[in-house]
Amino acid sequence: MNAEMDLVDFAVDHARTKGATYAEARFEKQDPENFILKNGVLDALYVGHDQGIGVRVLANGALGFAATNTLTKSAVRGIVDDAVKIAKASRRKTKITFAQEDSIAMNWSVPESKKLADVPVEEKIAEIRNVDKEVTGLGFKLAARFFNLSDNRIRKYFANSEGSRIESYSPRLRVFYFLTMLEGAAVEQAARNYGWSGGWEGVSTWGLSDRVVEEARSMHKSLTEGKKSPEGKMDLVAGPQVAGIASHESCGHPTEADRVLGREAAQAGKSFIPPEGIGMKVGSELVNVVDDPTLEHAIAYYQTDDEGVKARRRYLYKEGRVTEFLQNRETAAALHTRSNGAARAVNYNVEAIVRMANTFVEPKDHTLEEMLEDVKFGVYMKTFMEWNIDDKRYNAKYAGREAYLVENGEVKHPVRNTIIELTTPAFWSAVDAVGKDLDFEAGFCGKSDPGQALDASMGGPTIRLRNVYLR
Amino acid sequence: MEDIASRIVDKAVSLGCKDAVADVIENRSYQIRFARNEAVISNQWRESSASVFLVHDKRVVATDIKDLTKAGEAVERLVKIARASQPNPEYAGIAKGPFRYARTRPDPKVLSLDEGGKYVEAAIGGAVDQGAKECAGSFWKYEDEHFLATSNGVEGHDHRASLYLSIRALVSLESSGHGIACATKLSQFTPEKAGQKAGHIASLARAPKAGKAGRYTVLFDPLIFGSLTDQVGGRLSAWAVLAGLSPFGKKVGKRVASPELTLYDDGSADSIGRKRFDAEGVPTRRNVLVNKGILKTYLHNTSTAKKFKTKTTGNAGLVSPDSHAVFVKPGDRSRDEIFSEVKDGLWLTNTWYTRYQSYVTGDLSTIPRDGIFHIRNGEVVGALKDIRLTDNLLHLMKNIVALGDEPEQMMWWGEVSVPNFVPYALIKDVGITKSAE
Repeated sequence: MNAEMDLVDFAVDHARTKGATYAEARFEKQDPENFILKNGVLDALYVGHDQGIGVRVLANGALGFAATNTLTKSAVRGIVDDAVKIAKASRRKTKITFAQEDSIAMNWSVPESKKLADVPVEEKIAEIRNVDKEVTGLGFKLAARFFNLSDNRIRKYFANSEGSRIESYSPRLRVFYFLTMLEGAAVEQAARNYGWSGGWEGVSTWGLSDRVVEEARSMHKSLTEGKKSPEGKMDLVAGPQVAGIASHESCGHPTEADRVLGREAAQAGKSFIPPEGIGMKVGSELVNVVDDPTLEHAIAYYQTDDEGVKARRRYLYKEGRVTEFLQNRETAAALHTRSNGAARAVNYNVEAIVRMANTFVEPKDHTLEEMLEDVKFGVYMKTFMEWNIDDKRYNAKYAGREAYLVENGEVKHPVRNTIIELTTPAFWSAVDAVGKDLDFEAGFCGKSDPGQALDASMGGPTIRLRNVYLR
Repeated sequence: MEDIASRIVDKAVSLGCKDAVADVIENRSYQIRFARNEAVISNQWRESSASVFLVHDKRVVATDIKDLTKAGEAVERLVKIARASQPNPEYAGIAKGPFRYARTRPDPKVLSLDEGGKYVEAAIGGAVDQGAKECAGSFWKYEDEHFLATSNGVEGHDHRASLYLSIRALVSLESSGHGIACATKLSQFTPEKAGQKAGHIASLARAPKAGKAGRYTVLFDPLIFGSLTDQVGGRLSAWAVLAGLSPFGKKVGKRVASPELTLYDDGSADSIGRKRFDAEGVPTRRNVLVNKGILKTYLHNTSTAKKFKTKTTGNAGLVSPDSHAVFVKPGDRSRDEIFSEVKDGLWLTNTWYTRYQSYVTGDLSTIPRDGIFHIRNGEVVGALKDIRLTDNLLHLMKNIVALGDEPEQMMWWGEVSVPNFVPYALIKDVGITKSAE
């Protein structure tokens, strides 16, 4: 991509001549491929070849961004002129500044044992057809089912006016499935998402067939043996998937510094944590929540962010207290700190903003059996279906998909639609045991305007919450 | 650009494709995002691409071509991939043209607008005048031009441009309001009014108290009612029904809402989502989806229409049918009248994060945000916070008891995905839950 790199370098140089005090440009080439197998029928196969350049400048203390997919010098000159012009037209009273960061020159890529580009589409379709065959072979009444397999190969070249020059390559793979099962008038639905940074070898790490078959069996059991979930205060043993979504929604999002500072107020919202909230108590001392872009093969793996800052692990909550916000260079300057490499953009044509990567509850040493044996009366919620949280990230709800009654340490019959509806501190303060069975799911995290649905993963081990209200 | 669309289609046909669609799109949109009462970034896009849909021996493939100078090579590659793919026995073709399209042109004043700062300032000014301390949002000038060609004789051109502003005004973290302005004509664009509405709600929402769980009569402001009708429009896609993502399966001809509700989709009407044609080139038109509470049809493309033994509604997307713009037939209550009908209930102004426990049953919850008010005898008697609407989409629609007489055009980040023209709506017996103590 030498020609494109020359255009990126030209964009940065040209921006400086036009009066930008800081400039960066990012070329991205994405090669996505995905298909949906719906009720056994291959709906459509999508194969994309996406590329372009985005330029962001600081001029007169304001930010301007412009993007084009016409990869000529005149088109790139045009967007640089646009970006500088619209930045200067902003007439900000308070000037935006960026935290000082080291310039970096590097070239990194994610190892890909079996290159995604070399895997024929027939093989990809066959993989999913086999899973579909196994689940339909169980004989349950699956009223609807669909699988979406997608992969993407993302090449980037980033340069800024401070001397950073970074090339990168990230192959990514993802599967999503959605099942609808009927039993008489009752219906049960399940949705799951698994991801991988790397090549086609990632498919074998998911154990997809086993997971889908187990899902279908648990759905059937819930439909045929499930009873109303008990209501009242009791213990809750929450599986990795539930711990993962809670870590993403009520730990990751409220510690995004742009949200804390109000930049996302009209869209994804603000945060119950104020700018001076570092050290604020939000959970029990057993709660450590981490966001780590350097987790190998996690779908949101990266070594440098989209502002050219080196990635590192961040402790969002440590021993139950807010420890660190996710920062980009703009928020870090506003909060008098350094960026921790959390700036990401979904493609060349949008600005990089503060984002989570792979967010999870740090595992400890309990086994599932140890956590269950201490429960006199409660619910073991392995997975969830419906969930949401308010825009200050304080009031969350997780509705059970696969859940069981627990009595005197024994797992009994399934319970249907168990509801956890708790505040963030109430949820995390009730944690009295953290397991060691760390597991992850992939997700799309939504934020910004225009919306950027970005690869993220979330996970955790099984955790136990004492004496919380369920219904 | 028209030539490029035709060349792509011709190339695909020459390579053995039975059906081919190419939509060459030029995007020249411009945006200002603002927060803390100032612009935080301004964005300009100058992009051209082609959305392509090909069918080779019932194998359906799609792509977006970004390098239009190499469109021919991209088509060759795609056809090769199609041959390696598998047939879709449910695929039933694309619409047969040619068609005649309505003569619509964008407002030249919108097209020539290249600076939006004064509209942002007007919106913020409107909110601050009402007592807001902090405002955030987006101003958009959307402009895109489509050149469509299909292998079934369609050639179409559509130049679309519109203005949009979304503003959230805050007095404090828990006292906020939201306002929206949408227009296809500069003379009808009212950002200051949107700011005033956001600021007014934010000021009314000062010092909110924790709400209580229960069942309430709820007055839905147009923005949040638009979130619900957007759900109805989206779930009426025949694709959603087939995928298990809709509570409207097997309900055509049956009651799905109160007799108060008549709802239609209309991509041909003036809105910021107006389109002359759908992805197959079928002219957009008004389709009554719900008539006095009775479900009349799903949204179809040619393939789903055949499966349901009906005709396309002109709602084709590249793969699945989608709504263009949702319209609710207004009721007969003025704003004052519909408020006065609330003896003891709630007024909700906005929501987000709508999620389903079961798409098939319609069981969902969504989280009201911005102003939440306790209404007694038509008057606001207090502001509330920290509640969740936990109910069922069909139950909500069936319990509409009155609609306002002034629909407003709503579209908002994530929740209202296409323009929804909606009035105030009064719905009885709405489930409200909250976080446990």
